[in-house]
Amino acid sequence: MSRDATLFRPDPVVVQDDQPQTLQGLREMARLNRVDAARMFMAAGNGHFGSCFSCAEIFATLFFNVLRIAVENPNWSNRDRFILSKGHAAPALYSALIRRGFMPEAWMDEFEAKVGAKLMTHPSRRYQNGVDASTGALGHGLSLAVGMALAARIDQRDYRNYVLLGDGELHEGSIWEAAASAAKYKLDNLVAIVDANGLCVDGTLNQVMPIEPLASKWTAFGWEVEELDGHDIQTLLAALDIERGPRGGMPRVVIARTVKGRGVSFMQDVRGWHADVITPAQYQRVLEELQEPLV
Amino acid sequence: MTSAFNQPAEAHHDNCTNQLRKTIANLRACYPSRIISEQFGRSMVQCAADYPQLIAVTADLMHATGMASFGSQFPARLINVGVAEQNMAGVAAGLACCGKLPVACGYAAFTSLRAVEQAKVDCAYNEVKVILAGLSAGLSYGVGGPTHQTYEDVAIMRAIPNMIVVVPSDAVEVDQALRACLDHSGAAPIFLRLGRGPEHTFNAPDAPFAIGRARRMRDGAEASIIANGSMVFEALLASDALAQLGIRASVVNMHTVKPIDTTAVLREAALCKAMIVVEEHSVIGGLGSAVLEVLRGGHAFPVECIGINDIYPPIGPTPELREALGLHADNIAACTLRLLQQVGHAIDTPGTINSNAKRQVQEHTA
Repeated sequence: MSRDATLFRPDPVVVQDDQPQTLQGLREMARLNRVDAARMFMAAGNGHFGSCFSCAEIFATLFFNVLRIAVENPNWSNRDRFILSKGHAAPALYSALIRRGFMPEAWMDEFEAKVGAKLMTHPSRRYQNGVDASTGALGHGLSLAVGMALAARIDQRDYRNYVLLGDGELHEGSIWEAAASAAKYKLDNLVAIVDANGLCVDGTLNQVMPIEPLASKWTAFGWEVEELDGHDIQTLLAALDIERGPRGGMPRVVIARTVKGRGVSFMQDVRGWHADVITPAQYQRVLEELQEPLV
Repeated sequence: MTSAFNQPAEAHHDNCTNQLRKTIANLRACYPSRIISEQFGRSMVQCAADYPQLIAVTADLMHATGMASFGSQFPARLINVGVAEQNMAGVAAGLACCGKLPVACGYAAFTSLRAVEQAKVDCAYNEVKVILAGLSAGLSYGVGGPTHQTYEDVAIMRAIPNMIVVVPSDAVEVDQALRACLDHSGAAPIFLRLGRGPEHTFNAPDAPFAIGRARRMRDGAEASIIANGSMVFEALLASDALAQLGIRASVVNMHTVKPIDTTAVLREAALCKAMIVVEEHSVIGGLGSAVLEVLRGGHAFPVECIGINDIYPPIGPTPELREALGLHADNIAACTLRLLQQVGHAIDTPGTINSNAKRQVQEHTA
């Protein structure tokens, strides 16, 4: 497998602090998110294409509009927190952080490629600036976010706490332990986003372990639920950019209906592209299909 | 009794162990007891003022872990997640990520097994300081049976990189250890292994306590007894009783299993003719293993590890259960005698203590 990731050089990487606020700009960031993820996977020879491509719009919305973070002070105590609970979508997070200037662009081409590589399959705050929690084992992120949201409450700070969950991840019982505790403690400074692409590793969720109806499950757990098209940035913006401060006492979950592998025709909704090996020819096709922002 | 000993030696040995049993029983009666979970709760309340970031997180074990008073005095600082240990550990890690000083108060059995991935990933790998206080460890909830008895927690926690493991030995040391954990500056979680009910109290409140630094509580160059948790008291009784036979066995309180005090182990190894390691934990992976890892086989003296021998122990009240399993001063003393005989160390009968030994006993009891 070729490790030549220099086949294609996308646009200048770092987005300055006058970040794109426009819908068009965010769509472009979602496009670049997919391009960057593919670039990293090409460096490794394989990767979780489907899992990253389903949440590119979510990353664009959060990291280029919603989140209050500061590249010059990554550990700013009043920053908004973001936890990637579905840690295998790490390249989508890396792309966002690199384009915000938290990490060097050159790291992309070393993704998983050598001992001591800074970027690996799952995010790690040991090695990566801007990562709020190391994840990878599923079912952990919501508990961490509950702890962070509680800390914000106790310290009377107005930072918000975001966590991105996979829908397959909702099979983990610990998620529901955490969901119950967020409602008990009325953590309205907490937003969980479910990347509901309907596929897990072995097949569709319906085949492997049905979890629907999602909305009524979360409602029953005491959450404020919004269900939307997870590729529609305009809708995502409205749903994710919650008010700071008291908001009625309910944690919010955004059930983002997405398509796994979205944006690349031969990957879309294909189980096998949860994670797979990629050839240079396939990589070229990916880049060709990702030349224009999706609408 | 092994066939290696001839009859006179056997009789002599029996004579010694009978004498030891009596002495141990008499000594045991001299020490008061304190309830460990109550002490832990008291210490947490006292620490609340000194450590404003201190938060207790529990999994429906507020009462059982002695946290009821903390909860009523500081309701906003006690997070009770219900019967959900994974969430307890994860929430604690999230709090620690944001500058809080969380103490996750649960049963050692559940914290170390049900929440082990959270202990590893959310706490240890994430490099956050969460104190995972595991109560009712060992056989301290003996009647609870194998679901609540805990003999694998130290092995599990010790194997997690960046995890510190502390096992205090009495109520005084519970208080000292908790404060030392709260003061510890490392970005590492600490598994604080605690008992449950009454345990004999023997540590001096003003004795210095430092994580990673063993306390030598009795001197002696013949045998060395290394213990932690409830077994330190048993080791002390054994050592004190042996002293009356003229046998000087040192007692090392290895309250920190990880990082283990390598210097202390090697110092004992340089002096002793036999070593006994005692813990209320499986002989697989606990203190005994940790000591042997330090020795790395480079020792000429015999080493005996007393612990739970890879079995599900029977169910019973803690003191009787410990005794039945050999986690008792009688067995420690007998084991010490046996090892010393094995290495050819002459042992005087109680009636014929030589003058040197007499002097040692007098010095010791003075």
